[in-house]
Amino acid sequence: MSTSAVTSPAPSRLTAASSAARSLPSRAIAFFSGPVGLGVKVTLLALMNALSVWALVVLVDHKKWPAVAVLVAVTALLDLIYLSARRAIPAKFLVPGTVFLVAFQIIPVIYTVQVAFTNYSTGHILTKPQAVTQVLQNAFEPSANGRTFTMAPAKDSSGHLALLLVDQDTGKTYVGAASGLKPLPTSAVTKNSDGDITAATGYTIPTGPSRLSLADALNTFFVPAGKSQIQPQGLDSAVEVKQTLRYDRVHDRFVRISDGAVFRDNGRGSFVSDGGEAIEPGWKTGIGFSNFGQMIHDSQVRGPFLRVFLWTVIFATLTVVFSFSLGLFLAITLNKPGMRFRTFYRSILVIPYALPGFLSLLVWQGLLNDDFGVVNRNILHTHVPWLFDANWARVAVILVSTWLTTPYFFLVSMGALQSIPAELNEAALVDGAGPWQNFRKVTLPLLLVAVAPLMIASFAFNFNNFGNIYLLTGGGPNTSDGSVAGATDILISYTYKLAFVVGKGQNYGLASAIGILIFFIVAAISAASFWRTKALENLA
Amino acid sequence: MKVGRRLAVLLAAVAVTALALIGARANAAPAHKGSAKATTVRIWTDQDRKSSVTKVANTWAAKTGANVDIVVKAFPPTQDLSKVTAATAPDVVLAPHDTTGALAADGLVQQIFLSKAVKKQLPAWVLRSFSYGGKLYGVPTQIENVGLVVNTKLAKVPKTWAQLEREALAFKRKSSDNLGIAVQQGSGGDAYHMYPFFSGLCGYIFQQSKSGALNPHKIGVANPKFLKNASLVDKWNREGLINSKVTSGTAQTAFLGQKAAFWITGPWNSDTLKKSGLSFRIIQVPKIKCASVPFLGVQGFAVTKFASDHGVSSLAKDFVVNYLTKPSAQLDLSQASGRYPANTVAGKQVHDSVLAQFGRAGAGGVPMPNIPEMASVWGDLGGAWVNATKGSGATPARTAFITAARNIAAKIG
Repeated sequence: MSTSAVTSPAPSRLTAASSAARSLPSRAIAFFSGPVGLGVKVTLLALMNALSVWALVVLVDHKKWPAVAVLVAVTALLDLIYLSARRAIPAKFLVPGTVFLVAFQIIPVIYTVQVAFTNYSTGHILTKPQAVTQVLQNAFEPSANGRTFTMAPAKDSSGHLALLLVDQDTGKTYVGAASGLKPLPTSAVTKNSDGDITAATGYTIPTGPSRLSLADALNTFFVPAGKSQIQPQGLDSAVEVKQTLRYDRVHDRFVRISDGAVFRDNGRGSFVSDGGEAIEPGWKTGIGFSNFGQMIHDSQVRGPFLRVFLWTVIFATLTVVFSFSLGLFLAITLNKPGMRFRTFYRSILVIPYALPGFLSLLVWQGLLNDDFGVVNRNILHTHVPWLFDANWARVAVILVSTWLTTPYFFLVSMGALQSIPAELNEAALVDGAGPWQNFRKVTLPLLLVAVAPLMIASFAFNFNNFGNIYLLTGGGPNTSDGSVAGATDILISYTYKLAFVVGKGQNYGLASAIGILIFFIVAAISAASFWRTKALENLA
Repeated sequence: MKVGRRLAVLLAAVAVTALALIGARANAAPAHKGSAKATTVRIWTDQDRKSSVTKVANTWAAKTGANVDIVVKAFPPTQDLSKVTAATAPDVVLAPHDTTGALAADGLVQQIFLSKAVKKQLPAWVLRSFSYGGKLYGVPTQIENVGLVVNTKLAKVPKTWAQLEREALAFKRKSSDNLGIAVQQGSGGDAYHMYPFFSGLCGYIFQQSKSGALNPHKIGVANPKFLKNASLVDKWNREGLINSKVTSGTAQTAFLGQKAAFWITGPWNSDTLKKSGLSFRIIQVPKIKCASVPFLGVQGFAVTKFASDHGVSSLAKDFVVNYLTKPSAQLDLSQASGRYPANTVAGKQVHDSVLAQFGRAGAGGVPMPNIPEMASVWGDLGGAWVNATKGSGATPARTAFITAARNIAAKIG
């Protein structure tokens, strides 16, 4: 067997370990088989059911029928699996994993793909009916005379809502009803020192809670005044305003009242005039492959793509190669038996891995400051422009990423080294191999079988290592080609910038589309690498 | 035995389920209140302003008889507005003014109108912060801006730019560790902190129409007047008056350690300054070629579209339009969060001398452009300044800003 060389020492240690621990799992199983297990099962299952019922109530409330159907089916299935005795045992073990896979992997992927085909972005987040309502609600401007009023909502003798108004410029008093605006003789009104109306003959001004009961009516109330209208603003003031847009429901279009300009649905989530003027807000709608098309047409997106892609590959590759080499070197060095303070050294080396990454990155940013940072000022005594020059910034990013990743490879290499049987190296030694040959021909190939998949995973991780770039350099420094992408931007931080710092700031649709593209790139590279590691295994 | 167990499981499950049902009903009930007469106004604020907003909202609620429901969100609360469901959505939201454009374009906030009486107390340049496309979408309550903090033991408070330049350079020459003017930048740039110098050289970001609307296609980052003055930046760079390698940390450490006599910072460092034991004054940067005004960050409150859905738009508007504009309410908010009030009458009543000095340093300031296209500006504008002031190897400011203007135009598209 190809892998026997690596796994051969394992059984001996495994048996040793399991004989000591044999009683523990079996005792645990025995413990959970009894009434305790039943109790736990009942509790968990009941909680799940309760959660479902709660979700059901909410979903029915919002009339989400397809979701209700899925919920009922899934809950019934889960109950069936865990309540049936023996037949569904494999399912009992597979279901939790599957549920999490669906929740945390499959659903986000489906959502991302869905978003990629929409115009979901700043100005396009509502549904169309919501957008129409909103446009109408905000389609007012102050009228030409610009009158504003101090207001007291009141009831007339027949109990209808009326607004008692004082013009803030002239001090003239009016009463506004649904039928229109009428002057009110000053003699009929009592005002307090602030100029608010406190009483008027023929009207009752409610106070306290009864005033509150008028709030609901005030939501939609207005006083027509010729071509304009007087709109209450809250409970104390009113403003004369003019409507600017009219919605033509039959033709599904907006008409601007001042010049008759017509705004039609452009099929891409906006009402647009013949002159190309768009009404805000628009709405979220499907736009087919436009986002993918934009990746090709838009020079902002396409321009730096190749440069960024190449740098991403270089960044990810060098980070993995350097940190693996360094990690392996340290692991071999510290693997030497009889070395003093070995545990101490090992613990020290793991520190970068144990610290929260964002913290170390910000500290590194300070260390690398070229006038005030410790690296230049106290260690190198030079002026290396670490974060201000494109190439030095690239060096800095790789350096810091290597620093952050090395402990990981140090740990896995150390584990893998210990699983390589000493006999093999001894045999090679007997056959006359030198230490270097021994390492090259025996240790490294055996090590790579175990570590290569981890290197691929690390590559894929660094390929999308947004945090390192964003926190250390922010993708900067800016490049002279005038693109969004800075000198150290990798594909994912570049996508972030395209989605959030270009145009109107938030373009989820485009970001999702590029995200899908990046997924295919990473998947292709990983697949190719795994295919290569298979060859490695055969070699071993 | 087995049947018994299964039965037990089922029964228990059903019992808990039933309980949950009752609980769910009880929880779901308030959401239905909207159809009747709703009187609860939900307000989203951040942790810092929670107590002051609660105080102000309760005073209003006691006056009107309405109820308020204060919900704390991470700053800025507006960022969650596009993802919220109608049942939990706020009616009033604390908003940093620079999100106004995006919120209005998204259709999440309602247009409001202020009466003339209120407008008299709110300066036009502050009201502009919440205007978008000529319409007003929020009420400004607090202003923050940077000022020039002068250590009066180390330097004289400058009256003119020439004096400032002379003082700063004289101080810098005393020691190789000393800074001229501590302006925080760093490799990514910080357009917010360098803006007084940019505006002092007659730079601006977007051209403004008569109605006050900003035009994202008329960019003033490399306008002819600014370009004529741009060589001054190169001079400052040569002299070391301003150095873009200074980060927020180095700037603060230098000023507090008396290695800098001049520091550009804002009211968020009020406490640091008061505790420092240094004698200082805060002024606006003296006029260079044009007025060296800072960017204004304005916080205020907006009525959301959800207020209409909940049937409380008149109440929400009453709170925002009629109550939060009052000097008393503005003063309360100002005191609690350490920011200068937007209302001028309230501004005169600010007793905290540091805050009042910062307030005066912001006179005539420019609200950060609130149109969503501003997202395309920050990086390049900051980057241009960094490239022009990074010491040796710096790009001439003229070239740097022409490049930035071109890039910004390309990004806005």
